[in-house]
Amino acid sequence: MTTTSLDAREELRASLREFLTDKAPLSVVRQQVELTQPLDRKLWETLAGDIGAQGLAIPETLGGAGAGWAEVAIALEETGRALTPLPLLATLGLAFPALLAADDSDAQSELLPRIASGDLVATVAWVGDDGAWDGSGNTVRAHVDGSDSRLSGRVSYVIDGDTADLLLVVAVDGDGTSLFAVAGDADGVTRTPMPTLDLTRRLATIDLDGVSGRRIGRPGTADAIVSFALDHARVLLAAEMLGGAQACLDMSVNYANSREQFGRPIGSFQAVKHKCAETLVQVEAARGGVEAAALALDEEPDRVKILAPMVKAYAGEAFFRAAGENIQIHGGIGFTWEHDAHLYFKRAKSSDLLLGDAAHHRAALADRLAL
Amino acid sequence: MTVDLGPRTAAFRDEVRQWLDANANDEARSLREERRPSPEQAAAHKRWADRLLEAKLICVAWPEEFGGRGLTGIELAVLNEEFARAGVPRVTRGMGEGLVGPSIIAHGTDEQKATFLPRIISGDDTYCQGFSEPNAGSDLASLRTRGVVENDEVIVNGQKLWTSGYWAANMMFCLCRTDPDAPPHRGISYVLIPIQVDGRPNGVEFRPIKQITGQSHFAETFLTDARAPLFNVIGGLGNGWRVAMTTLGNERGGNATTQYVAFEREFWSLVELARETGQIDDPRVRDQLAWAYTHVELMRCQGERLLRALAAGKTPSGAMGGSVNKVFWSEYQRRLGEIAMNLQGAASLLVGPDYKLDRWQSTFLTTRSHTIWGGTAEIQRNIISERILGMPREPVRK
Repeated sequence: MTTTSLDAREELRASLREFLTDKAPLSVVRQQVELTQPLDRKLWETLAGDIGAQGLAIPETLGGAGAGWAEVAIALEETGRALTPLPLLATLGLAFPALLAADDSDAQSELLPRIASGDLVATVAWVGDDGAWDGSGNTVRAHVDGSDSRLSGRVSYVIDGDTADLLLVVAVDGDGTSLFAVAGDADGVTRTPMPTLDLTRRLATIDLDGVSGRRIGRPGTADAIVSFALDHARVLLAAEMLGGAQACLDMSVNYANSREQFGRPIGSFQAVKHKCAETLVQVEAARGGVEAAALALDEEPDRVKILAPMVKAYAGEAFFRAAGENIQIHGGIGFTWEHDAHLYFKRAKSSDLLLGDAAHHRAALADRLAL
Repeated sequence: MTVDLGPRTAAFRDEVRQWLDANANDEARSLREERRPSPEQAAAHKRWADRLLEAKLICVAWPEEFGGRGLTGIELAVLNEEFARAGVPRVTRGMGEGLVGPSIIAHGTDEQKATFLPRIISGDDTYCQGFSEPNAGSDLASLRTRGVVENDEVIVNGQKLWTSGYWAANMMFCLCRTDPDAPPHRGISYVLIPIQVDGRPNGVEFRPIKQITGQSHFAETFLTDARAPLFNVIGGLGNGWRVAMTTLGNERGGNATTQYVAFEREFWSLVELARETGQIDDPRVRDQLAWAYTHVELMRCQGERLLRALAAGKTPSGAMGGSVNKVFWSEYQRRLGEIAMNLQGAASLLVGPDYKLDRWQSTFLTTRSHTIWGGTAEIQRNIISERILGMPREPVRK
């Protein structure tokens, strides 16, 4: 994959920001999530048509832009900044790299063009009811009979699982664990949205009862596929969290500069300024890390195993801190449902915990450094 | 490092590498940075410095017209990398190169540049800093050291504090108040004061300050009728504050592209300590080590980001260096020292003869100064919030 220049990436960022400000401002996002409306398909398709976000890292021969992960990370950063409730993390952070890792050219040539065109929402389902991110609680079993496989069992915490057209389900079969493609609306699939603390992140429980699935990749390779996909998801989730943290910092500074108490803007008090300054220090550190990690996905695969858990942990804590300070700086108004601060605060904690918390990822980093 | 730095930089790297292949010898490789070198160490250091001087590899970031090489940030990073690869030290002229020279280049007259800059490059002049005072620390502009102009001289009286590098210095760059009636930030002049004149004392007396480490890297300085020619006032009388801001800006800049190298080495030493003390499998220790590695690696990532910006011909944003970097590394290293002390446990309780500290005790104590010098962490956060985030200034007392 080729990686475009710094200028091209900044242009992409500008057009994404313009697009999201125009088509999905926070006021619209709020309406959607509070009324628990179904996925905005039209926005998903327009994002593909106008910006081509879904196809950024997909080869041109398969309908994409043939850019790279650095560009995808920018897309996630911008949607994270705007809290856009679109299934980018599930489709591009999990399903797409899973399809790449499965090294299944039939599946790739059929599915990747549909992802690029905005026709397909996809996700990966590997976690069980217990919420263990290593998938140890996954109860799905596959009964393989020739080319037809039948899947039964339950997976939970499936990101965008209630709206995905394509579910890539990890199931135990005779050969260990394999990855199976299941249509979201197939017979025997029951999808139940999980009631999430974070209003902007959709999770679902999926019950499978003898559902027809098609194995993707070679038998027994699901663990390796999911592991590859997860490192991509960690980097892209970190990019999303970086965007959220920057949004919180911007909100904090704007409010502190306009809100007056004791006859002057509260932003002139060091107690408030220093909170903002510390958030900036952490946001900038996270930005350097996320950029390096995203570039590494394209250019330095060996470095990904270090950078992916590292930026997931760091950006998670930085975002949570930024979102918490944002409420504090806003004072009482920041504690109200009508203010947007809680949307970011909840998104920050849910993202910090998603795929495992910071301590979990630092433990993984220590292992990968062979400490 | 994956940043493609272009053909010009590659050519520069080749040039430096070839020079180092021909010139880096065992003696140069054995040089260690000593605050107080023995005469033999000093002589060896001078031999290496003279070679670099001949090759114009000193004060390399200064513009060519002033005796430097006008190296860009990228080329400087390349130079540092190549010297590190060859295992030989870069020779810098300390505060003369990093602080005084750039201030003279920015604010000095042509005659001042012609007089002072070559002496910094050659090593003839070594500077110490005379900024802080007992009652002027973070609020530097409230300084009270007086400078009185008499004929073509400034006569300086007062007390300075935290004079670093005093033992090797023959010159002090000093802020003094030459106009007591002007507002605090005006009325200040930036004067280069010789420590001796014609081999005789010039009213500059140093009294070493014993630090919490037990060592004395700083002094308090008493100025009693210390004389400097008016020619030695940089930027003109009463314009010293502007010149000082240039100096402080340089002090905070650091070398964001390569500083991670030393921190990474230090990190792996800490890992070694955790192994030696049998704590490497303790999940709490592993969490702390991973935390530390994260900060070192983020410094590296930030340096790469800076290089990408420079390579693309961009001016890096203020958020990529200066105060942000200073806060990040100084607070990181402070925490690292605490982690190391805890890892050593009871051994951290004891010192050697003459209060000799071990490496980690030294880090633990020394890092307490890093969040103070060059503007405290609190001052850095003021700068970040005001200059980068555009937040209002604290109201100033009338």
